[in-house]
Amino acid sequence: MPLFWKWTVALIAVVLLAVFLVLCKMAGSPKDAYGMVRYALPHMHSGKLKVGDDAPDARLVALDGSDRFHIRERTGGRPLVLIFGSYT
Amino acid sequence: MVQIYNDYKDHADFLTVYVREAHPTDEWQMKSNVKEDVCYAQPKNLAQRVAIANDFITRFKYPIAFGIDDIDNVAEAAYSAWPERFYIVDESGHIAYRGGMGPFHYDPNEVRAWLAARYGEVKHDPPTAPSTPPTATAIPLK
Repeated sequence: MPLFWKWTVALIAVVLLAVFLVLCKMAGSPKDAYGMVRYALPHMHSGKLKVGDDAPDARLVALDGSDRFHIRERTGGRPLVLIFGSYT
Repeated sequence: MVQIYNDYKDHADFLTVYVREAHPTDEWQMKSNVKEDVCYAQPKNLAQRVAIANDFITRFKYPIAFGIDDIDNVAEAAYSAWPERFYIVDESGHIAYRGGMGPFHYDPNEVRAWLAARYGEVKHDPPTAPSTPPTATAIPLK
């Protein structure tokens, strides 16, 4: 193998190793790094909304599982703090 | 977050939107979930999602108004809200504050600062001694 390709392969390996180590550091462990890459990163989006945009509407379900209401129904009178999240 | 709600609920409305689980057992489960006994598979239908939301409300006696994103995840997509995120919508229906993506840029202090700039700061005495067990205020949404 020519020297150029040896160095190229070595460089790529070092970069991949560095990325892997950074992900492990961010996630906490190799298993968590895998989980982050496999399950989290594909769903994390910065989005295009910005301050001043119309707030999107969406229909939500009440805790009884049957009643529905719209986010827009809750806006208008006072500022509305929206808290998105899950249990886990 | 519950503390911020208690401090500013006379000035602003609050709505929690429950979206897809971040760390379900069948995806990227974390040790902390096991330790805290928060172990759920990713809901495959609305009934499962509603059940988990009710477990959360019951466990933490969560006082903030609550809505559940439907299983097609429309609210999550509209607000790029997964896994967790804050927004503030002003009286005219426009985005007044856009929080960063959780978990790395999910910052309740920014929400408090926005509300404080508008309605004044609410100060609390520093804690003096251990008192009540942790509640929903100790964790992001949960």
